[in-house]
Amino acid sequence: MEPIGHEGLGRLLKLEDNLQTPHVVFSHTDLEEPKDLESGGSIKVGKTFDLPPSPLGLDSDKSPYLQLSENIAVIDNAYSIQPKKLVKIAADFRLEAGYSRLLYAPAVEPSHMPILAYLGVDIFDDLNVELRSSTGWVLESGEWIKQNGQIDDLFSHNRAELSRWILRIRNALSHGKLRELVEMTSLHNPRVSQILHHSVSLLMEKGARVHSMIRSNDLSLNHPAILDFQNRLSDYEPPAKNMVLLILPCSARKPYFKSSSHKRFFNALREVDNHLALHVVSVTSPLGLVPRELEFCYPAAHYDIAVTGKWNASEIEMLKSQLAKLNPTKHYAKAIIHAGSSSEIMTELVKELGIDVVDTRVEKPSSFEGLEILQNIARMTLSDIPILNTKDRAKGEAKGLAKFQYGDNADFLVNSEISGRMPYKLRCGDLAAMSPVVGGFGLTLKGGIEYSSQGGPVIAAENFKLVGDLFAVGVKSYKGNWNIGDQVVIKQNDVVTAVGIAKMAPEEMISMSRGVAVEVRHHA
Amino acid sequence: MPEAFVPLTDFVNESKSIPNDHPLDKPVAKWTEEEVLNGEIVEAGVVILRTRGCYWSIKEGCSMCGYFNDTVPGGVSDGMLREQWKKVRPTLEGKKYAKIYTSGSFIDPTEVPFNFADEVMSDMSDMGIEKVLIESLPEFVNPKNFAYTNSPKLEIAIGLESSNPIVLDKSVNKRLRWPHFVKICKLARDNGAEVKAYILLKPPYLSEKESIEDAVKSAIDAAPHVDKISINPVNVQKNTVVEKLWFRNEWTAPWLWSVVEVLKRCEDLPVRVYSDPTGGGTRRGAHNCQSCNKKILDALKNHRLGSRDLKGLYCDCRPRWDALVKQSALRRNGSEPHGYRSGFAGSRHF
Repeated sequence: MEPIGHEGLGRLLKLEDNLQTPHVVFSHTDLEEPKDLESGGSIKVGKTFDLPPSPLGLDSDKSPYLQLSENIAVIDNAYSIQPKKLVKIAADFRLEAGYSRLLYAPAVEPSHMPILAYLGVDIFDDLNVELRSSTGWVLESGEWIKQNGQIDDLFSHNRAELSRWILRIRNALSHGKLRELVEMTSLHNPRVSQILHHSVSLLMEKGARVHSMIRSNDLSLNHPAILDFQNRLSDYEPPAKNMVLLILPCSARKPYFKSSSHKRFFNALREVDNHLALHVVSVTSPLGLVPRELEFCYPAAHYDIAVTGKWNASEIEMLKSQLAKLNPTKHYAKAIIHAGSSSEIMTELVKELGIDVVDTRVEKPSSFEGLEILQNIARMTLSDIPILNTKDRAKGEAKGLAKFQYGDNADFLVNSEISGRMPYKLRCGDLAAMSPVVGGFGLTLKGGIEYSSQGGPVIAAENFKLVGDLFAVGVKSYKGNWNIGDQVVIKQNDVVTAVGIAKMAPEEMISMSRGVAVEVRHHA
Repeated sequence: MPEAFVPLTDFVNESKSIPNDHPLDKPVAKWTEEEVLNGEIVEAGVVILRTRGCYWSIKEGCSMCGYFNDTVPGGVSDGMLREQWKKVRPTLEGKKYAKIYTSGSFIDPTEVPFNFADEVMSDMSDMGIEKVLIESLPEFVNPKNFAYTNSPKLEIAIGLESSNPIVLDKSVNKRLRWPHFVKICKLARDNGAEVKAYILLKPPYLSEKESIEDAVKSAIDAAPHVDKISINPVNVQKNTVVEKLWFRNEWTAPWLWSVVEVLKRCEDLPVRVYSDPTGGGTRRGAHNCQSCNKKILDALKNHRLGSRDLKGLYCDCRPRWDALVKQSALRRNGSEPHGYRSGFAGSRHF
């Protein structure tokens, strides 16, 4: 074998038979099953080599992490090892395997192959591609798309595509552009981006310094839904005056209140007197600040991001502007910060606004010790705060959510008889109720009537018995404006007969003669 | 005793945790279920008594067994055992078949005192129970441990797990050897007891295919020495090696198709081979896809109760199972991608 190129820890090797790494082996031709549990079978990369035995009875959390045979080193579980751990293992790849062994990572997803190649893996296989193929998915540039047209032999098609994908990785490596490919695959893949994030210092320390052009990009998160959420935060008001702002970290599970960490926070806090006067706001990227009432609202319950524990300057700037929109000086008496990695930043930002703030200084917010500290600090902080009862709190919650959702048209909800409590049972009389599908208050039919009289969007439909959804062909005219996905009211003969979610833009409904115009939620 | 395989022994010990506190006067559980007795379907009373638990789980334990979570490390006094017995008697009254489990070995006299066991046995005999099933590690199958003054017909269930020493050593962590198993089966049967063997399907580290082969081979090996064989698909119990591997996505619970496959291949054996998967149909137990779990479990139940028919079962996930089994020995562990059984429907898994 002859090394002819390097990037990061990855290597382009020239092997016999005109083969090069990174290389992919195909299970039906190149891999042979072990004869018994204690042997490893064989692999064909030009020549046939013995594989090391599988890691029977070993704890993958402990070294040695690689299984070795004479010519091959195997990194088992490369698809599932914790990102941080994987990078730690990668730091010692060559120490354990040496340079003359080929490093094989079995059963990894195509989207993980660029980062693994970047960290030094030489050989991949098609095992996962085979499983995907058997369920009808098509491989396309390292990603899976559901088959639409018929592809006769999906297995061969996907194998050929996998070969092309590997060729692309190899090609990138030889031209010093593997980093670009890795960045691209990491964009919408939290696992890859976490591995990439943690490997920075390893790559600086041990990675090859190739002088290739860096074509850089400020990867800002200008997603329209995120910007919209951030902007509308200025419409929002906390449930009551003089509450205590409690900043908590976000969670992987969405909505946050369903996560195990937030359940632990809640259980610890509800033992504190007057805990209703605490207002929970979660700090997160890229959304910034998410008050508890808005956790259902899109996209607060619909995003995922690589967890790194690091906050960059633009994120801090964003947190600052979101905090300003929340206007703490006007609404809160005090603040408690219990947010792990972002505690310091948030404390600094809240302090700048001149509010009395306590940082719990806990590294692991949901640990037993962390909860105990939080409980004590909450108890002290709440001791001189006026009592807030359940009813007033629910009213305030509904008001905040309604204003956030419906903006200037929210009065009919704000003035209705509010009952229940967050998250699921909150209702505005018989006008609206919480709905995870809508992402906040979903209107009832009565609510629809009120909403239409307050200037909400109305669609006039032809006169027929409306059952199921409203189709474009039945739309006569419309009043008001909406975006696809907003709630709309349907009127027939000037009477409200249904409310639902718009599936077409206003003019589109008129000009189209086929397709669903409104997905109806409630009929008369 | 064979040598311990040190990495696995450490792994097992590190996975365990101290059981929660439990009330001593209440049994772990009690219920009734359908069973076959002398070719007839009867209602059986099942109880799990709370005891000190399996001696092996205190020392090391098996990689898949989380029953120690239900035990009381300090032990349960005779008085408390009698309290428990009072509470389970109604479940057993009027039944012909009883299953008395502990989270260990019923005939280990240090776990269940012989006097108490003797009392319980004559009590059941008086109640009119014809047959009683108990469980034990092989090392306690000694006639003096079950020489009761008056007892129903005894059926001793023994966890063979596998007849392959490598599986026992490096996957299950059980110090059992095949010749010893043969010897104690004979011993038990010579002393008037029947023997039921438990065989694991898909212990940790094994792939789907390897585990099917291992279970079938073990069943064929065991058949001449026992009276019936229960195939036990491994399920994920708390604080075990299996749970850790499952969390890390290095192992998944077996498919129900694998259970069906093993049973089909054991059809011609001279003893009854059946399966009642613990936690069947859940992510922690043997499962297929959502749309056929119930159907297959029903078929397994009918099979267990005597229909002996597993033909004609099909679901869209069957070809997926075929594809996985074909390649599973190449994957080097018991894993598969998230969401595979349902065809990666619903969400993005890549």
